[in-house]
This record gives sequence, C-alpha cells and structure tokens, in this order.
Amino acid sequence: MKIGRRKFLGKGSAALIGLSLKNEKKIAGSFVNEAAATGHLLRDRTPFPPASQAVKIPVVIVGGGISGLSAAWRLRKSGFTDFVLLEMNAEAGGNARSGQNEITSYPWAAHYVPVPGSRATYVRELFTDLGVLKDGRWEERYLVFAPQERLFLFGRWQDGIEPAVGLSQNDKEQFKRLEESFRKYHATGAFTIPVEEGLSQKSADLDQVSFADWLKTQGFDSRLLNWYMNYACRDDYGALARDTSAWAGIHYFSAREAEELGPITWPEGNGWITKRLLERVGQNIRTDQMVHKIFSSPRGVRVFANDTEYRAEFVIFSAPTFLAPYIVEDFAPLKNFTYSPWLTANLTLDRLPDSPGAEPSWDTVFLDSPTLGYVDAMHQSLRTHIDRTVWTFYWALAEGTPSQNRQLLLEKDWNYWKEAIFRDLERVHKDIRQCISRVDIMRMGHAMVRPSIGAIHSEERAALKRRKGRLLFANSDLSGISIFEEAQYQGVEAAQAVLTNLKGSR
Amino acid sequence: MGILLFLTILLVAACGLIYELIAGTIASYLIGDSVFQFSTVIGTYLFAMGLGSALSRYLNKGLIQRFIWIELMLGVVGGFSSAVLMWAFAFTEGFQVVLYALVVVMGALVGLEIPLLMRIVKDRYSFRDVVAHVLTFDYLGALGASLLFPILLIPHLGLVRSALFFGLINAVVALWSSFLFAPQLMERKGLRAACLVVLCLLTVGIAKAKQITATAENNIYADEIIFSKDTHYQHIVLTRFKDDLRLFLNSHLQFSSRDEYRYHETLVHPGLAAIPLAKTVLVLGGGDGLAVREILKHPQVDKITLVDLDPEMTRLFSTQSLLTALNRGSLHSPRLQVINQDAFPWIDQNRDSFDFIVIDFPDPTNYALGKLYSTAFYRAVARHLSAQGFIVVQSTSPMFARDSFWCIAQTLREAGLQIFPYHVYVPSFGEWGFVLAGTHNYVPPKTIPAGLRFLTPEGIPLLFQFPPDMAPLPMPANQLNTQVLVRTYENDWKDISH
Repeated sequence: MKIGRRKFLGKGSAALIGLSLKNEKKIAGSFVNEAAATGHLLRDRTPFPPASQAVKIPVVIVGGGISGLSAAWRLRKSGFTDFVLLEMNAEAGGNARSGQNEITSYPWAAHYVPVPGSRATYVRELFTDLGVLKDGRWEERYLVFAPQERLFLFGRWQDGIEPAVGLSQNDKEQFKRLEESFRKYHATGAFTIPVEEGLSQKSADLDQVSFADWLKTQGFDSRLLNWYMNYACRDDYGALARDTSAWAGIHYFSAREAEELGPITWPEGNGWITKRLLERVGQNIRTDQMVHKIFSSPRGVRVFANDTEYRAEFVIFSAPTFLAPYIVEDFAPLKNFTYSPWLTANLTLDRLPDSPGAEPSWDTVFLDSPTLGYVDAMHQSLRTHIDRTVWTFYWALAEGTPSQNRQLLLEKDWNYWKEAIFRDLERVHKDIRQCISRVDIMRMGHAMVRPSIGAIHSEERAALKRRKGRLLFANSDLSGISIFEEAQYQGVEAAQAVLTNLKGSR
Repeated sequence: MGILLFLTILLVAACGLIYELIAGTIASYLIGDSVFQFSTVIGTYLFAMGLGSALSRYLNKGLIQRFIWIELMLGVVGGFSSAVLMWAFAFTEGFQVVLYALVVVMGALVGLEIPLLMRIVKDRYSFRDVVAHVLTFDYLGALGASLLFPILLIPHLGLVRSALFFGLINAVVALWSSFLFAPQLMERKGLRAACLVVLCLLTVGIAKAKQITATAENNIYADEIIFSKDTHYQHIVLTRFKDDLRLFLNSHLQFSSRDEYRYHETLVHPGLAAIPLAKTVLVLGGGDGLAVREILKHPQVDKITLVDLDPEMTRLFSTQSLLTALNRGSLHSPRLQVINQDAFPWIDQNRDSFDFIVIDFPDPTNYALGKLYSTAFYRAVARHLSAQGFIVVQSTSPMFARDSFWCIAQTLREAGLQIFPYHVYVPSFGEWGFVLAGTHNYVPPKTIPAGLRFLTPEGIPLLFQFPPDMAPLPMPANQLNTQVLVRTYENDWKDISH
C-alpha cells in the first residue's frame, strides 16, 4: 500500500494531537438560583394581583439575607417574636446562601468573615452566641486551616496572595511604603468596621477621587502593586480600582487590626451562619414572598407580598436598597447606589488536578486573571484523605460598565460561561477538564453595592441611615460596602431602632 | 542517495540528542535538583562532542568503516545507557561517576559523527552545500527528538526502552550505511555481521526491559520486596532480608521486625500498665496490629477499638502469614473491633469513652497528617478519655526532630492535658519519642505483663529522663490554622540530612 506524503503527514499529526487531546469528559450543570426573572417583574412594573387577605402584625422584615436575618436575630434575642420576615427566593440567606452535594456543602457567595476587631461588637456577640468564640478563644476548626492562600505567578506557586515573587527593588519599596501609608490611615481611626463607627468628614475628600488616581498621585506605579490593589477591589467591591473610591480602597487595607489569625470560615462559607440563624429565627420566615408594594405613612406601613397585605407598625427594609424605587410608593430615584454584577460557579471535582509545587490551599488566585480564582470547600474538612471536592469559582465582572456586564450575563448561555471558566483554570491546571464533572453557575446582576466615587459620604446614604419614620432601611449597601459585618450591623441597628420605637409607641 | 544520506544524518542527530536527554532525565529522577542535573549533563555532553570533533582529525583512512563502527558503539553504549544508569544507582555508590563517564563517551562518539559524515560526502557536493545540508538535517533531527522525547517516548516507552530503541536506530543506520556506501567499502561481511549482533543484543534488551527496571527498583528498597501495593490511600511496601521484615508506607519506614518490640512495648505498657483495671482501649492508626498485640497482653482489657484509614492495611496484616506471625494474629482477636475510617471525623462523631488511647500515626510529613497532631484533634480525643485514663502519642524522634517532638508535647498541653514525655532507643529508627497525656498525675507501673523482651518495671522511670541533647525546647502548639508542626518537622529533617 502506498501512502501519499500528505496523507501520511495528516495521519501522523492526527496521532500526535490525539495524544494531547485526551478523551473529552462529559460535564453536567446548569444555571442555578436564578432570580433575574422575578426581579425584573418589579423593574418592568408588571401589575400584581390585588391582595386577597390582610394580616396585622407589628413588624415586617423585607429580605432574608444577612441583614434581615440579623434583624430577626436581634428581635428574638430581645424577646420580641411578633414579626414576619418576607423572602423573595425559595431560600433565605442572600449572599450567604450555600448548597450541598454528596461530597460536601459549599458556598454560593460570601465564604468567610475576618476575625472581628474590638469595634465589631455585634459580630462578636453573634459569634459568642454561635459557639465560634468561646471563653475568649476562637474555635480552631472554624479558623482557616493552613495553608490559607496561594498565588500562581510567573509559572510557579507562592504562599499568600500579595505578590512576593519576581519583585524588583522598586516594587518592594512601593509595597512597603503603601503598607506604611495604610498603617497611618488605620491610626486615624476613620477607617473602621462597621464603617459607621469611624465615618468622619475629615477623610471625606478621599471619597472624591478614584483609588487608581490616588495610587498614581502618590507615586505607586509598580505593576504588581497595582495588580494586587485591583484584585482587592474586585474581591471586595466587584470593581476595578479606577471605579472604586480611594476611601474604599484604603478602607480595605486600613480598617482591620493586624491579625495573626486567619479568617473564620466553614465548608459552606457564610452559609453556615445562615443555617445557625435560621435555627434561631426560622419560624418567623416566609419564603417565596415577592414584596411588590409598600405604602408608608405616619400611622403605619402596608406591605404587599404575593396576594397578602401586611399592616405593620414598622418595616425593616433589608432587601437591596435599589429595589426601593420600584416597591416603595413615592420613593425618589437613587443616585449613589451602583451594584457590581458577579458570577459564581460551583465545580464538582471527581479527582484533584496535578498542581506540582503547591500544597492544596483554601483560596487559589492566578496573577493577571480577570477572575478571582477559587475556594476549596473541602479545605476545612477534618479528613486526612481527600480525593473529591467542590471548588467555588468567583468572578466579579469588573471590566466595563455594570450594565454592559449584566447584559452579558443574561445573554450568554451556560456553555459560554463554563468554557470561560475552564479557559481560566487551564492556564494553571492543564488537566482540569478531566477532573470536573459538574459546573453549576449562579448569575447575580446586582451582587454587591459598589463604593463608587462619592458614594459612601453621600447625603443620600446618610439620610437613609438616619432611619426616621416607620420604614427603616437596613441593607449592607447603606454602609456602601457589601461585607458580612456591615449587613449584620445595619440589620441589628434597624432592629434596635424598631424595638426603641415600639417601646415609645406603647 | 541524497535523500537517504540526509535521512541518516537526521536519525543520527536524533539519537545523539535522545541519549543526552535520557541521561539528564535519569539523573533528575534519581538524585533530584533537575536544574543542576540537566545543566551539568548538557554541558559535559557538549564538551565531549567537541572532544569527538577534535579527535576526528586523527581518523584518516577508511572513514566509512569507522563511521559504521562508531554507530555500532553508540548503539550499544547509548542503547544500554538507561539500564546501566539505573543499575549503577541501585547497586553501586558511584552513580555520578558512571553518569559522567557515560555522558563523555556518548558525547565523544556523537561528536565524531558529523565531521566524519561531512568528510564522507564532501566530494559529492560543494563545501557550501555540505555545510548547509548536513547542519540543516542535524538540527531537524534534534528538533524531532526533542519533541518525541516528552510526548511519545517517556509516556509510552519509558526510559529504558527509549534508549534501547534509539540504540537500535544507530545499529540500523550502521547496517544500511554498509549498503549505502557499499562501493567504497573493502570488507562488508564482517561489518554486517557485527551490525546483526548489535541489533540482536538491543532487541533482546527491549524484550527484557521490564526485568531490567524491576531488578533495579527491587534494589532501591535495599531488600527483597515481598509485597507492594498502591492502595486508595497510600503506597504499601513490605521487604524482607533474611529474618528482617520491614514495612514502608509512602517510602517511610514504619517498623523493622528485628526491633519493633522495643517500639511497641514502649508505646503501650508504660501507659496501659499504669491504669488500674483498664477495660477499654482505642488505637488510632496502627493497622499493623503490633500495638494491639501488646494491648492483648493485658487480660483485663475486654474491648479494643482499632481505627485505621486503610482497609488494605488491616487486611494485609490479618492474612499474610509472615505478618500474622509477627502480630500473633492480633487482628483476629474477638476482643478487637476494626474500623476503617478517617480518624478525625470518626473521633468527632463517636461518643464512647476509653481508658487508654494509643495514637500511632505516621510522622507529620504533610498538612493532611498535620491535622492529626493539632490542638483541635487532641481536644476531641480527650473528650473520649475516662477519668483514670491516659493517651499515648507516637511523637517522632526527640533526637533528630527535637523541635517537632516538643511541639507535639506542647500541643497536648495546650489541649488541656498534663504531659509525661518519654523516649526509647529503637536501632532501626534511632531515638524515638512518645508523649503520655492525661488529666491527672502519672505514676509508673510497679508490674507489667510477663514475657516482655525489653521493658522492665525498673526500666520504665528511666525512659522519662531526657539528656541535654533531647531536653525540652519552648515550642508553640500546633493548630489547624497554623500547622507549625509540618514546617518544623520539615526543617528538623532538612537539618540532619545536610
């Protein structure tokens, strides 16, 4: 038999390619926890059916994320039980929701809480209540196990996320100088968690310039330093440094006391806190309740959810504030509330990928990736032998405008995002397609509030935080920073305001 | 003729590069430090090639015949280079000498090839074309080889057979050169016979390659391997030399049958004999049944629970006759319950209480094992301890890993326990340490089971004395969130291996 040269070459290269393209593994999965369709009923002002029943109840909490759950926790802890919490989704938890499969439970969004400083008294109170803080000692199994974080850069792994490899003398000096600068800002006492504790006009001018511009004017031009600052902004705010106010960028690094303990976490992330809170306040919660209209007057508040009208003395509005103009009668449009779109995915791994040169860590980040990397749900497992796991993959769509990215989130199908995730992971884990059997993706158009320029010190925000009247706002977006501590703070504060007002009115 | 000639050059160049890659790879595999190995191997090889080229000027007559002989020599030396290197590592102490000697010989032979070939063809082409053609195919061959090596050869043929395969190519080149240049050759029969001999030799080598590697690997474990298995959890290897059985888990020695009694008697009796009327005992790890064998010498103990992760391990030690002879069939005792589970989750879920708890895990060589030496783990274990009970923990060597030993002791103390560290000399391990821990004071036992080979009641108090070179050091406790022990242990052993 004669084989032509071309044909031979064709066969030869096919054989060569066949060696590198291992047999394609079937990957299951879908979009999950979709909320856009329900939410858009409000946006599009779709008419809702009239109420068919009325319920009289002193307090209604709208929204079952950490803010609403914390308000409920404070009410019940104070012995007040005559309230109802209305949650739009089938499950409460908001950004602290979690899922579970046969391998482990895993987070859907927020996945840790830093060890709270002395001023975060509500968080310390909650953690004492939940057994996380016992006799002045943090429960060891809830602290992140070592090794915590790793960064892949320049073809290798390093411990920790702040770049420590391939730094020039100039890079090192800039990192040091910036750290020094953050230390000074910390000492001013203006940067605190909760934000409200330290907020002062003294540092308000930092809120009028972008973090990127601030870095530039301070002479920080190191590429690695700027990557790290952008990473921090994407991680906590879902935004690039140029879309974040300098005040918020500095807050990220200056608000916490130097802590030797790593953050507090659980396999299901902050879903663990949600579960514990549900054990305490679950009986007051009504899920699948779409609050579509609220009328507030000096005599009381009428809340319409599905086909029920609640007649309340006070309402705590724990849902994201951007919903208020669509729900609350005569509510002026908001100017200082921007939200970042996010995508999270839970990846089921039937085996662990080869990653030579690195111990499996809790949090893995790749230098120069548009994504935020992934967190390993089995990292907090007490087992010594781990052969399967779930990774939670985080992606704040920070490049471009939020509305463009929301459009992109809605338009592209599951396969598009799955491939995008794989391409990102393949930069480092070449065999990842052979490891993953399932990819579930959650799209969040308004995942977190963005501390844009001027937002945190805006009068609009200050007015909402004063909590006058019968409709009290309580979402973490009032702080301007979407973190657990702020959500809990706003929720508890609102609950306390309600308790005080109720006492006064009786 | 032209095409065949240049194909010859291409093949010859490929062979030359492959031998170099093989030497570098084997050196990296066996010794580690791949940057150093590859740099020095490549450097030496290139230098030897230069040497070969320089020597080529002394070859004047019968160039084709000489070329064929060089191919044959290279076929044999290069072809068996892998096997020789593995054997040298397994059976001699002069691996490096053999390595660089081979690299020099192969490099010199390869260095001779191109100058000879150029001179052979110089009359057919202009000088300009000779240089251009020969070097083009030389570099092409090198490219092909460097791609084939990682993609096809290493994964599919392995190191030993790849080398032999390319040796075969050298021999084939020799044979066909005898046809290609037949007109210029005086004597052909002898040459072709030599080619056939070399071809046969290499073919036999390929057929027996498996045995070659197996023999070498056998010897890397020093003694005859009588059992070797990759279980779901670990690599178990059992070796025997005369009457000495040794168990290796992931290449770490677990015991030698010659002196394990010292280890296991000392692990069990100082604690267990000191507890009046101990009835229930828990063993964590210790799937070899040797600790259980010692515990069974206490007749008042009526219930032993053994928790070991790996069912293969407990199966092996309850069925293999050499092993059941060693542990006296302890794993078949009606007083014993075997549970194959991960220890930490098990201890968390279980609610039983025990009078004596033996913790006999492998040393904390990685973060996964480090969890089993943490304050969180010891706190969980302590909840299972009866009021009169003690825990004993295998705590690595207070001599070679002194920091680690005292770190484990401090971890137990931080978990709220009183500690009583002690140590023993086990020839195959060296000085080995244990920590007894409990909620009350420890008084060494006055009586111990009869028939022990090492321990005596008078000897026990002496175990608790630490000479200055093993004396306590202030160390932090090991916690899940810090895992200081894993790093400490790594440093300890790094220090003594230098």
